[in-house]
Order: sequence, then C-alpha cells, then structure tokens
Amino acid sequence: MTIASTTQLICFAALSITLVVGAFGVVLLPNIVYSAFLLAGVFLSVSGLYLLLNASFVAAAQILVYVGAVNVLILFAIMLVNKREDLSAIPGLALRRVLSAAVCGGLFLLLVRVAFTTPWALPGPASIGEEATARIGEHLFSDYLLPFELASVLLLMAMIGAIVLARRDVYTSDVITGEPADQGLIEKARTPLLTSKP
Amino acid sequence: MVTTTGGLDLQASFETTLEGIGLSPGMAHLLWLPLPMVLVLVAAVVGVLVNVWLERKISAAVQQRIGPEYAGALGILQPMADGLKLVFKEDIIPARADGLLFTLGPVLVLIPVILSWLVVPFGQNLLISNVGIGIFLWIALSSIQPIGLLMSGYASNNKYSLLGGLRAAAQSISYEIPLALAVLAVVMMSNSLSTVDIVNQQNGAGIFSWNIWRQPVGFVIFWICALAECERLPFDLPEAEEELVAGYQTEYAGMKFALFYLGSYINLVLSALLVSVLYLGGWGFPLPIEWLAGWLGQSVDAAPVQVIAASVGIVMTVLKAYLLVFLAILLRWSVPRVRIDQLLNLGWKFLLPIGLVNLLVTAGLKLAFPGAFGG
Amino acid sequence: MTEAPTIAATVPVSNLAVRSVIFDPSSLQLNAAAIAPEGAVLVALLLSLLVDLAGEQVAARWVPPICYGGLGSALLLLALQWNSPAEPAFVGAFLADNLAIAFRSVVAASTLVSLMLSWRYVERSGTPIGEYAGILLAATLGAMLLCGSTDLVSIFVSLETLSVSSYLLSGYMKRDARSSEAALKYLLVGSAAAAVFLYGASLLYGLTGGATGLDAVALALQSSTTPVAALSLVFVLATVAFKIAAVPFHQWTPDVYEGSPTPVVAFLSVGSKAAGFALALRILVGCFESFSVQWKLLFTVLAVLSMVLGNVVALAQTSMKRMLAYSSIGQAGFVMIGLVCGTEEGYAAMVLYMAAYLFMNLGAFACIILFSLRTGSDRISDYAGLYQKDPLITLGLSLCLLSLGGIPPMLGFFGKIYLFFAGWADHQYLLVVVGLVTSVVSIYYYISVIKMMVVKEPQDASDVVKAYPELSWNLRGMPALRAALVTCVIVTAVGGILSNPLFGWAGEAVTGTPMLLQAIAAATAHASLG
Repeated sequence: MTIASTTQLICFAALSITLVVGAFGVVLLPNIVYSAFLLAGVFLSVSGLYLLLNASFVAAAQILVYVGAVNVLILFAIMLVNKREDLSAIPGLALRRVLSAAVCGGLFLLLVRVAFTTPWALPGPASIGEEATARIGEHLFSDYLLPFELASVLLLMAMIGAIVLARRDVYTSDVITGEPADQGLIEKARTPLLTSKP
Repeated sequence: MVTTTGGLDLQASFETTLEGIGLSPGMAHLLWLPLPMVLVLVAAVVGVLVNVWLERKISAAVQQRIGPEYAGALGILQPMADGLKLVFKEDIIPARADGLLFTLGPVLVLIPVILSWLVVPFGQNLLISNVGIGIFLWIALSSIQPIGLLMSGYASNNKYSLLGGLRAAAQSISYEIPLALAVLAVVMMSNSLSTVDIVNQQNGAGIFSWNIWRQPVGFVIFWICALAECERLPFDLPEAEEELVAGYQTEYAGMKFALFYLGSYINLVLSALLVSVLYLGGWGFPLPIEWLAGWLGQSVDAAPVQVIAASVGIVMTVLKAYLLVFLAILLRWSVPRVRIDQLLNLGWKFLLPIGLVNLLVTAGLKLAFPGAFGG
Repeated sequence: MTEAPTIAATVPVSNLAVRSVIFDPSSLQLNAAAIAPEGAVLVALLLSLLVDLAGEQVAARWVPPICYGGLGSALLLLALQWNSPAEPAFVGAFLADNLAIAFRSVVAASTLVSLMLSWRYVERSGTPIGEYAGILLAATLGAMLLCGSTDLVSIFVSLETLSVSSYLLSGYMKRDARSSEAALKYLLVGSAAAAVFLYGASLLYGLTGGATGLDAVALALQSSTTPVAALSLVFVLATVAFKIAAVPFHQWTPDVYEGSPTPVVAFLSVGSKAAGFALALRILVGCFESFSVQWKLLFTVLAVLSMVLGNVVALAQTSMKRMLAYSSIGQAGFVMIGLVCGTEEGYAAMVLYMAAYLFMNLGAFACIILFSLRTGSDRISDYAGLYQKDPLITLGLSLCLLSLGGIPPMLGFFGKIYLFFAGWADHQYLLVVVGLVTSVVSIYYYISVIKMMVVKEPQDASDVVKAYPELSWNLRGMPALRAALVTCVIVTAVGGILSNPLFGWAGEAVTGTPMLLQAIAAATAHASLG
C-alpha cells in the first residue's frame, strides 16, 4: 500500500464517520441550532468525499451552495425565529419514534442488501480531474442546455414568489372596485381551520 | 497538478536534491509537502503583524498623532506586544454561554481564511497548490465563514453578539454574489479559474496588460465587496461600536478574541493579494521581466535571472497588496460607516446589477475583440 | 441504435465514455423549434412581469391579453406541430411526439381557462395580479416541458419548476392561514417526493453508467433486472403517484385543494395532473418496459385504492372544493385504467379522458368560483335553492357534475366508456368492475349537489342564496370568467355527441408516438409468445 492510498483510506474513514455521526446528530439532537450546525458539518464532509473522488469543482460548488447558502439560510431562519415555546406533548411519542426508527432501519437494510447484491460495473469511468470544470460547461451548453435554461426560469420564479410571499404588502383593496380586501381566500372560513382540532 | 515550465521551481529542485542523497521520490515529496504550508502560515502571520503596525502608524498619521513609538524603532515591535498580551490573557467563557460552540466559532472563522492561502501565487511555481478551480476555491471557502460568525454570535448568549453575528452573515452572503460576478468576468477573459493562469494572461505587456484597464468596473466592485467581506470600515457594521458594543466579538477575550483579530487581518491581506492577482498583474513587474532580461543580454532561463525574477515577483505581489492595504486603512479614516439598510441596498440594488452588466459587457467585448479580451 | 458505430467514429472516445448515450444522428441537433410553444409561454411570462412594474392598474388592464396571446399562440404552435415527425430536440433532452403535444395542449388549455377564471378572484382578494399570472405561467412552462422531457435531468428540473410554482400559488393568499397551511403542507410533502425521485433517478443514472437520457435508461434496464432497478422503479413510481395524487400518496390533496385559491386548484387538478400522467407514460412505458408486470400490478392497486377511497370519502364532504379534491383522486383512478391496459385503446382513452376532464372539471370550477365570488362561500349546503337566483351556475354546475359522474350524453360518459371498454378488452375485469361501482357512488354525490341546487323550494334556500347579490357581469374579469364557464359547459354538454374527431385525435396521439407504438408492439409480441 502506498502512502497516497493509505492517506486516502484514512481520509475516507474520517469523512464517513463525520458524515454518519453528523447526520444522526442532525436528526436526533433536540436542540435545533445544533442540528443546523451539524448539517453544515455533514455538507462539508460530503464535499470532502467529492474531493476524494477527484471532483474538486463539485466539492467547491457543494461548499458554496450548501454550506454558504442553504445552511446559512437555515441558520438565519432559526435565529430570527428563536422563540422558545413549550410545544404540547405529542401522544404516543415513544411508540412513534420506535415505529419510524423501524421503518428507517428496514429501509436501510433494504438499501444495504440492494447495494451488495447488485453487480456494479467496477471500476467506473476514470475521473477527469482538472478538466471537469470545462466538461461541465460543455455539457451545460450541449446536452443539458434545456434543463440549464429552464433552471433560470425556475430560479426567477422562486425569487419572485419569495418576494411576493415575504413583502409587507401595499395592496389592501380590490384594484377594480376599490373595495377593501384582505389577501385571503374568497371562501371565508366559518370556523377557523387551525384551531378546530383539539 | 499543472506544472508549467518557466520560472523558478523550488519544489522540483528540492526533490531532486533529496533524491540525489538517496531518498525515494515519494519520501522526497512527503518531506516537501509541509514546507510551503508552514512558510505561508508564517508569511500570513508576519503579514498580519505588519498590517497591525501599518494600521496603527497610518491611522496615527491621518489623525496627526505619532502612534506607537517606544516598542522598537518606530514602534515596530508593538504588534508583537499586542499579540503577546492576547496570548497571556485569561480565556473566559461566559457562564451562560454555550461553551462548545463558543470555542468552535472563532476557529471556523479563521480556518477557511488560512486555507484560502492555498491558491495565492507569488510566482509561476511559488504557491502551495495550483489547483484547477483556483479562485473558485477561495470563493467557496469564504462562504464557510458566516457559519462561524453565526455560531459565535449565537453561543455568546448576548443580544449584541447575536445581532452582530446575523449582520456579519447577512453582509457576507450579500456581498459574495457581486464579488463572484466580478471574479467571473476576469475568469471569462483568462479562460481559467487557476490563479496562475489569470496572472499569466495579464503579463504580456507589463503594466498595460493588467486587468485593471480591461475591468475597471469589476475592480471597483471587487474592492468594495472585498472590504465588505473583511468587515472593514465603511462596512464594519457587525462590530459597530456605537450600536453593538463589538458585535459577535463582544464576549470574547484572550486567544479566542485573537483568532477573530487574526482572521480579520489575514482576510484583509488575502483580499489585497487577490486583488493584485486578479487586477494588478500579480507577481508581474510593470515592465515585462523578459524584456529587461533581453535588454541586459541575459537568458531568462539562466539561474541567477530566475532567482532575481522570482524575488522581484514576490516583492511585486506583496508591494501591490500592501498598497491596497494602505488604501483600505486610508478609507477607514475618510469614509463614514453606512447603515445596515444602505449596506444591503448597495449590495443588492447596485453592485449586483452592475456586476451582471459588467459580465455581459465583458462577454460581448470578448466576442468582439478576442485578441484584447481573451479569445 | 444501429447508427451508433458511425457516431463513435466521429465523436472523440473520451467524450463517448463520459456521455455514453447512444445518440441518434438527428438527436445531435438542437432542433429548438420543438419548444416554440413553451417559448410563447415564456414570452408571456416575462411580459406580464414587466407590465406589472408599471403598477397594479396597468397590470390589471394588460396582463390578461398578454396571457391570452401567449397561451393562444402556444396552442396554435402545438396544433402546427401535430403529426409532424417527432425529432429529438436539445440533443435528446426533449421530444415533441404526438403524446407530448396532446398533454402539453391539455396543460396549456387548462392554464388558459384557469387564468380566465382567476382575474376577478385575484383582484377581489387584493393580491398582485402580474406575479400571479407569472407564477402560473411558470408552472405551465414546467408542466409542458415535463410532458416532453426525455432526459432525467430535464424531467427533474421541469418537475421542480412545476412544483415550486405550485407551492407558491397555493400560498398566494398569504394573509389566510388556510392558504399558508396548504402551501406548507404541499411544500413539505412535495419536497419529500422530489427527494425520492432524485434518489430513484440517481440509481437509474448508476445503472446506465453515466447517462441520463431515457433511451439509455431503457437500454440499461432491459439488460438488468437487478434489485436496484426494482428499487428505482418503486421510487420513481412513488413520485409519479404523488403528482397524480393516487391513493395512498394523496394525503396532501384535500388540504391543499381546500386552502389554495380556487383557480389554482383548477389548474392543479387538471394541468398538473396531466403532466403527471405524461411523466408516468414517459418513464414507466418508455423505460420500465422489462418491469411492466410489476408496475402494472402496482398501478392496479393504486387505481383500485384511488377509485374506492376518492369516491367514497367524497360522499362525506361538506365543502365543495374538498369534494372536488376527493373526486379528482377518484378520476385519476379511472385514468389509471388506461395506463394499466397498455394497449392502443388504453392510451388513447387516457388522452381522451384527460381532454374531457379538462372541460368538465374546469367548468365545475368556473361555477364554484363564480358562486364564491358572489357569496363568499363554498359549502355545499349553501348551494341550496340556487336555481331561483342564478340559473347559469345551476345549469353549468349540473351539466359538469353529471359529466364527471359519467351520465350520457355528456362528454365524460364517452370518455369513461372508452376507458372501460379498453380495460375490458385487455381483461382488466377487476379494474373495470371497481370503476363501474365507484362511478355509481360518484353519481350519488354529484347528484346530491344538483338536488341541493334544484329541488329545494325558495323558502328552504340557504341564507347566502336568500341574500344573493344581483347578477352583474360588468366588472373587469367577469366577462372572461363567463366566457370560460360557457365554453366549458358547452363543450361538456355537446362535445359528447360530436366526439368523433376527439376519438380520432386521441388515436392519432398514440399512433404518432413511436415510444408507445414500440411498447404496444412489444406487449403484443410478448403476449403471442407466451
């Protein structure tokens, strides 16, 4: 075993352990802030795995998008709405937890079995390393042109929608008749929907 | 690793020497690996010390004071004294703070900054790693920082800290976008993300081929955004003394505070270095070194010329960077701090659209004049 | 596929190793004209957003004609594409075969009608109209591209465009807790479904060894019947079932339909669902050929559950929107019969039923939107005695509900009978019997609404009907609503009798689609062998 492959193995083990432990922490920790910070750790380890696969552009993009944008946004949301509220106890919580753990465990076993029984074509295609950035660009402007362009529509819409939903609105009247309006459904609820259930 | 010929290649000479005394190539490489890292780490820390001294002296000069005077000649040892003071201070973790996150926060702020030094070139082969994604790595790494800031803001359990952390993160992600757009325009001209390629593309005709002439708007955007990313005045809202005590640093003392301090100064030097790489020709001398060598009748490949050229390159890079640091310090004392809404307005409503237009114009110019704008 | 060696000679080897899609020579062309209809929608989208900058009054004046222009020209362009030879566009990412054209037309038409129903509703609620139209057009764009995508990445991006826009539309009445609740539920469940789809797609990507084209996936699946393929089938199928709201993936439907603005529900129940069915055909029929026994079995179960649960639970509803939500679950169950058949008649019946469903369901929604605009209510009991005050709504709603129930001679009857015939001919007796029984159940609750409107004496009329406002059509947006309502009702009522060309088109939609023909041929070959 060469120095390089040993290093690689050690890195892989370290990253995988961080990844798995971090992911468990994200799901299981009761403190949502810890979960969010651990999520950043999970994303970082994933990007480390990409680096091990010699996909440096994907690794950097992973950090930029998931850690730099998604995770920071999640943290923002948590910290801006950091209202400590005692939620009412959910009946049968222990049973629910056991059930969902059983479902997840079953799914995990299924996936493990599938992964081991499948004859994977190994080794896969050789990595192209540094040329990856240029190749990604080529793909984006050839066979993935349609999804690439459509993604711009998707992002535009997401942005406009977010602004529409988030802004403090100025329209409080019907533009045609000038009647007051409340930006709610026209069908008025007779009994409030949210509090009707015990 | 892409190794281009030409210029001083310390790594190759080091490894050949070691192999000459009977070591295996793998071993020689292994011995080489830590050297540039340690060197750059030391350079970064020394850079910070110089920076602190400059900051004190220039600030004093701006305000018609003398500044540090007794610690060494011209107070040159004052930054050392500052650093030692911080090292020996008691490390306090507030009682109601979250100890783990409180400790982790400053570390998370510092590490990405130091890692970014990976891609700063001081010469053709004088950088730790000429990775293909080069400048993109810096952009990606600098996006980790807000997590650390939020972490320390939250863990301090102090409203000023939390607000400071939130402001810092908001500022950092807002200005990252125009920054990336400005970088993208440069990358488009040099057809590469690698910092070495970006510098090489600017060194055809000395000072006249520097990117600043082709990307004046991009240069201004980049510099503004870099100042905002470093939380320098006029963008130091996260630690605005009048409003937030010291922002996310409020509860920190001793070495943890020093980490923030170090991080912010290393970041400033790093940003200045990258400005010089992206826009001011990096290690390039205002006159191309090949011309000079030719004029003096020397071959560029001759060993002494190479050593001199490499030294000139390092000096030029550092000189350009410290010129920009000087500018940043002057700006600190000449521009008032902006309000948070003005800051976000500037970022989203002005810099972002201008950055986009700049990118578009660059693309158009590249198509129209492939010779001048990188075909 | 036989041309592959010639391509290998021209494309550098390294390129092939990465893409490893076996291209048709023609698929190497951009062929951008295939998405000209989507282009028209996109132009309308951008124009509505730009017009919106000039203020709310200007937007209310100009956005409707822009949308009509965009969607009308999209429909026109789709009509021009009909029966033209289907050539892969965008280097194999999109295919405008007749099936795609049929479903895209359904989507575009449903958006057009939904928008005509929307103007007054949106203005009355005081929400900005330009953004509303923009988001709905983006959803349309996603749905239309989804119908023709032949590449996993395109499928995912268009699916997300449709989904994200739908979440936004559900929560558009943001001051209303119900609308926000609907949006949140839809977002959470929808994101989970998207994640599941991505997981399945990544498994498929692994199976092909690095290609995302559906033809490459089909090729890989033919040669491999590994557990991975079965797992990816389950994952992909779950997402499809979520999109068409098949039981047991339907839980989001009632709450989302009840809390979303009614015109949005109209779009979701027709346009979004049509795109879901197109996706099902593309992936299941086009790719999972070798797993047809398995997915047909799964879909049989889904169809039976949907028909039974959708129609039975609809009986107990007191809210009109909720009732139509459950009824739409049942209707999706009927359409699935055609999918399970896998014969030419089956596919044709699916297309036909979707087209019929477009008119009858949107007609019904037009009526309940009009009613809620006039009374502010959507409770079924509030419709009591309506025929005295508003004959148009009464007549329209009655005809559309009868058609949804499958009463001759409405359009829905012919659609349904065609589906059942196709199912019977393919020996899907269980499905057909369940379909017939649940149709009878559905007729019960549809008729009870009609009874509520028609049979009550004036003194038994509900309070809101007693206080019914005077009929007026002169507010801006009302004429469009009336036009949409009348058109839908007329087509529903008369279309059945004149349905011969519809049958012809539905048949052509199948015969003009190479993918379906291949599947049918393979199925018949398989049947004659075994």
